[in-house]
Formats: sequence, structure tokens, C-alpha cells
Amino acid sequence: MLPSVAAVDLADVLARGDIWRGDALSGLPAGTVASGYAELDAELPGGGWPCGNLTEILVDRGGIGEISLLLPALARLSDEGGRLALIAPPWLPHAPAWAAAGVAPERLLVIRPGKQLAWCVEQLLRCGGFAGLLAWPDAGIDARALRRLQVAAEGQSVFAVLWRSTVDAATPSPAPLRLTLAAGADRLALRILKRRGRPASRLLQIDIPRPGRKTRVVAGPAFSAADAGSPAVAAVA
Amino acid sequence: MAAAAGILPGHKLSTALGLLPGLRACERDPAREARALADLACWSGRFTPTVSLAPPAALLLEIGGCRRLFGGIEAIVAAVLDGCRIQGWSADWAVAPTPLGARWLARAGAATSYESLAALQAALADLPCAVPDWPAEVVARLDAFGLRRLGELSAQPAGGLRRRIGNGPVDDLLRARGELPDPQRAFVFPERFAAGLELPSRVEFAEGLAFAAQRLFAALAGWLQVRQMLLRVGMLQLTHDDGSTSALPLRFGEPCADEGRFMRLLREHLSRLQLVAPVEALHLTADEVVARPDASAGLFDQALQGEGAAACIERLRARLGDDAVHSLALHADHRPECASRSDDPAGIFAAKAASTATFGKPRPLWLLPAPQPLAEHVDGPHWHGPLQLVTRSERLESGWWDSGEPSAVGDLRRDYFVARTGEGQWAWIFRDAQGWFLHGLFA
Repeated sequence: MLPSVAAVDLADVLARGDIWRGDALSGLPAGTVASGYAELDAELPGGGWPCGNLTEILVDRGGIGEISLLLPALARLSDEGGRLALIAPPWLPHAPAWAAAGVAPERLLVIRPGKQLAWCVEQLLRCGGFAGLLAWPDAGIDARALRRLQVAAEGQSVFAVLWRSTVDAATPSPAPLRLTLAAGADRLALRILKRRGRPASRLLQIDIPRPGRKTRVVAGPAFSAADAGSPAVAAVA
Repeated sequence: MAAAAGILPGHKLSTALGLLPGLRACERDPAREARALADLACWSGRFTPTVSLAPPAALLLEIGGCRRLFGGIEAIVAAVLDGCRIQGWSADWAVAPTPLGARWLARAGAATSYESLAALQAALADLPCAVPDWPAEVVARLDAFGLRRLGELSAQPAGGLRRRIGNGPVDDLLRARGELPDPQRAFVFPERFAAGLELPSRVEFAEGLAFAAQRLFAALAGWLQVRQMLLRVGMLQLTHDDGSTSALPLRFGEPCADEGRFMRLLREHLSRLQLVAPVEALHLTADEVVARPDASAGLFDQALQGEGAAACIERLRARLGDDAVHSLALHADHRPECASRSDDPAGIFAAKAASTATFGKPRPLWLLPAPQPLAEHVDGPHWHGPLQLVTRSERLESGWWDSGEPSAVGDLRRDYFVARTGEGQWAWIFRDAQGWFLHGLFA
């Protein structure tokens, strides 16, 4: 005969702190904003850039098209009346270019936090009044600060991107989505280092819009020897 | 404690000190008492618009009309007492249908609310006849009559009583019992807010001022509530012990009337403030107020939201400085340095028409703070290796109108190109009379 076991209510069991339900483990991000690149959306969990989570983009050199990769999403957020913030950007934002890309400059906040970047980003994440944040932390930002930021982002509908160097690819980070960017031959090479769900190993080649005509390389007038008055030519001679 | 030691009004200070050696005597300052009462009246504007002063030390709040708003008399009383305690006041209170009855009961330490007239009259009947407002001779005569309680007094025939002790006390009793009307003169909330506070001891650390300033900000919040105003700019003046003053302006990104936000901003400011000398007194004025836009509160409970962007920006500006936070604005100028400007961050809340100015030619997202000279080799300019020009030149020139002005861009004559480096970076470079320069990046 079996030993008599006191009947336990199922609800009581489920309420225990050390009982986990299998279906509660993997939740989709709070929301996503479409990236505007179909091949990228297919690889991102939820079909777009996550809102309410940190996204880390590791890139070594500016100017390879890293912001253009985000511009369709930022333009969509801005178009919906969302406010965007650039925290410690590496250079000065040039308003006509942002406006031309569809990001309203008057709803774009530029912040120079000095040494207090982590505090500043945390405040902006927590306040819930911003739709997108792009932050350029120092190389020295530690895992604790990142963890704080991730906790601050959770539950807020904000698309938060931290720009870091590819040197940090090997160090663990609490950000649920991490990817590296590199300039390919003609396109942007994107590799997802970490995402929710199964790991991705495929290298994505993203065709982002670039200025000028791609097909033809035009020689500048500087090289014409006829331009004798040019100081550049004088320097060469 | 003084009374327990046998000290009575009318004693000399030396007698009092003889009775209680540790006695600390304070001089009364009626003007300061009146100011403190007025500040407290301002503060209580958050509970009810009908406030009356009953000098020297009583405040009458008409709360019959706001019971629903606060969720019952108990809730209002608890909030009032809590606020008094936070500001460092101790209060005796009573809630009664008549103002005078409430005053007498509060002074007797009733600390109860009497909602019906009958309950009030029963409570009044138990009070001693020695009403402090009445002349001493009246109290003495009543004592001589053998009347100890107000209940016994009100049982006497009114005509005879009036002849013996005068009309005033009898009318008072009738008003307290609700048998005579007792209209109160309402406290007029001042047109402009200014409140001062002398600190009980000198404060040498800026953080220490927050507690004292809380009393002023509480009064300000009440005043704003009654006047239906929002504060945009306030000024806290610190008077130092050497007689000098320093001013601490408080600017709000979005006008507000919330005491908690006032205090948060003040703390940010105080944490950065270096006091030149210990502080003796504080003075708070509301310099810029705006009318509160009318908006209805939600009928159902709304989802709790973050504090919002405005409060956040305010805090960032308080800590990082005003220059560290700005929004962008387009400026109609063909010179790249002048085409974008820093704007007041409050602009991000204004619903402006979308800016339409665009250039036909590509413009980079990033601009270098100053053009960076590029090395030039036989094959052209170099930046991380040779640069490959991708577009034809775009000439930007002229700008004579501000040349010679300090920190202006001035006249320029440049040919701009989009160029690629071997590492895949897209740069915006130009050539002028001085040579090649890097000016932007197509990120």
C-alpha cells in the first residue's frame, strides 16, 4: 500500500519560488520594431529590433553604415512621434542628414554625459519617455553597469542600442541581442553573436543605402595637372 | 513640563528659572508666527480651497466639500497630520460641524471628528468653562457662579447670563454649538508666492538645506494647487551668516506643481552646491508661473507610467549642466557647420511641423567638430589608406556675411566629395585652398 501523501493543491505548487513552468521560460521581447531589412528581420527574434531590451552592436570603425542600418527603424519610431536620444555620440550629428533620413531633428536629443553615461542612460531608460536610445559607452563600462541598464530597459518600450568595440565580443554581456558589424566588399557584414532562441552562425550581408553612385568611381579635379594654382598640386610637386 | 514645575503665566523669568533650572526661554516673535501660519495656510491649499486663519495658532480648513475627493474625513485628517509632522509642526486637531466648536475641541486636545451637531454639542458640554478666548474676568465670574463645564453654562437662562457676563461669551457659546451662524473670513492666497524661513541653527552643508527647504516647497505646492498654477522658474535664496546672499535658481523643463519633483530637483542642485558660508535663512519665491492647462483626470485607473521625458531631462540638466543636453534644429544655411543647431530640449515636446529642408546631394550623419586635415599623397588624399572618390564635387561657397565675427564660420570655398577608404568607411571630404580635409562620416 502506498504511503498516504497529503493532497497538495496544484496552484500551491505552482506558486512556489523554486518551481518553474516550462512555458514561462522563453518569452518574446516586449515588442519589436521592424528593421526595414527583410533578411535581418528574419534572423531577429520577434521579427525586428527588440524594444525593452538592450541591443549591443559591436563595431570598430564608424562610417561603415552602422547608423544607416538602424535608420529605417529610427525613422519609424520618430514618425510615430517618439523621442530619440543620442548619448555621448562620437561626432556631431548633422541635422539635415538625420532629417533627410526621416528622423525629426527636433525630437532628437543629444546628451554629453561626461563620466556619467551609465547613470544618464539608466535615467533615460527608466523614465519611459523615449522611443529610442543610442549610447556610446566608454570601453571601460563594466558588467554591473550593463546589468543595471538591462534591468532598467526591461518593461519599457524603448529601442536601446549600446555601441561597443568588437574587442568586447568575447566578454559576456547581459544584453539579450548582440551583433558585430564589419564593412564587407560592397555590403555590411553582420553577424549575430547572441540572440534569444537558437544561436545564429550565418554571416548576413546587408545591402544598405550608401551615398553617391556605386558603380562608377569618379576622379576628382584635384589630380588634373592643369590646375596649377592648386596648393595640393604644389605640395605634390 | 513648565506647567508641571509650577510655572504660571505672569511669572518673572528669574522665578521661572528658579522653579525649573533647565528652562529654555524663547522670545515670541508675533510677526514670524503670523508668517508661519500664513505659510501653513498656503500649504493647506492642497486639501481645500477654503482656509481661514484663526490667529495666533489655529487654522480652519473647510473639508466638508472635499470628503469624496480624499476618500473620507479620516484620510484628510491623516494627510494633514502627516504633512504637519513632515514639516516639523505638532498639531492638535478636531473635526466638527462648527468652526468655533472645532477650535475649542482641538485646543482641548480632542483629536476626534464629530460629524453630527448632537455629537459636537455633547462633546462641548464636557469642556471646562475656562475658554482661553474669553476675558479672565468672565472666566473668574463663571467660576464664582459654580459653573465648571460648558454644558452647565448652556443650561442657564440666556437672558440672565447675558446681563452678567456680557454678550460676547454667550454668542461664542451659541456659535460653537451651531445655534448662531458663524461665517469665517477666508484666507486669501497671495497673488505672488514668497516664503522665508529662518533656520534654527546654521547649516554648513548644502545637503542639510533640503530638509528645511521642504517646508517652503510644501507651502509652494499648496499655493500652486489653489491658484491652479504650475511653476516654471523658482528661486531659492540662501542668506549666509555673514549677511551675504546667494541665489539658487530652479528651472523646470516642464512646468509642474509636484512637491516631490521640486525636492528631487533641489537635491540634485544641492549635491553640486558648494556653500561659501553657513546658511542662516532661506527664502523661496515663485518667479515664473503659468496657468495650469485644464485636463480631466482619467475616469478609470490608468496604467502607471514612468515619470516621463520632461522630468528626466530636467534631472539630467541639473546634474550634467544645461549645455550637456540639447535637441537638434535645422537651420537654413548651406554651410555644413551652420546647418544644424543646438536647441532647447523643451522643443522635443512641441508638436512642430516636420522639417522639410533637404539637400539634393548626400549629407553625412556625423560631422567632425572641426575639419581634420588629411595627408596628401600622389594618389590623392589619405585617411586610413588612400581615399577613393565616389561622387563628383559639390561646391559650397560664400558666407561673407558673418566672416570676421567671433566663432562664426565665415566665408568658405570648398569642393565636397564622398570618398571611401579601403576599410569600407564612407567619408565626406573637401578640398579648399589649404588642401584636403575630412569633414564628415556617412555612418
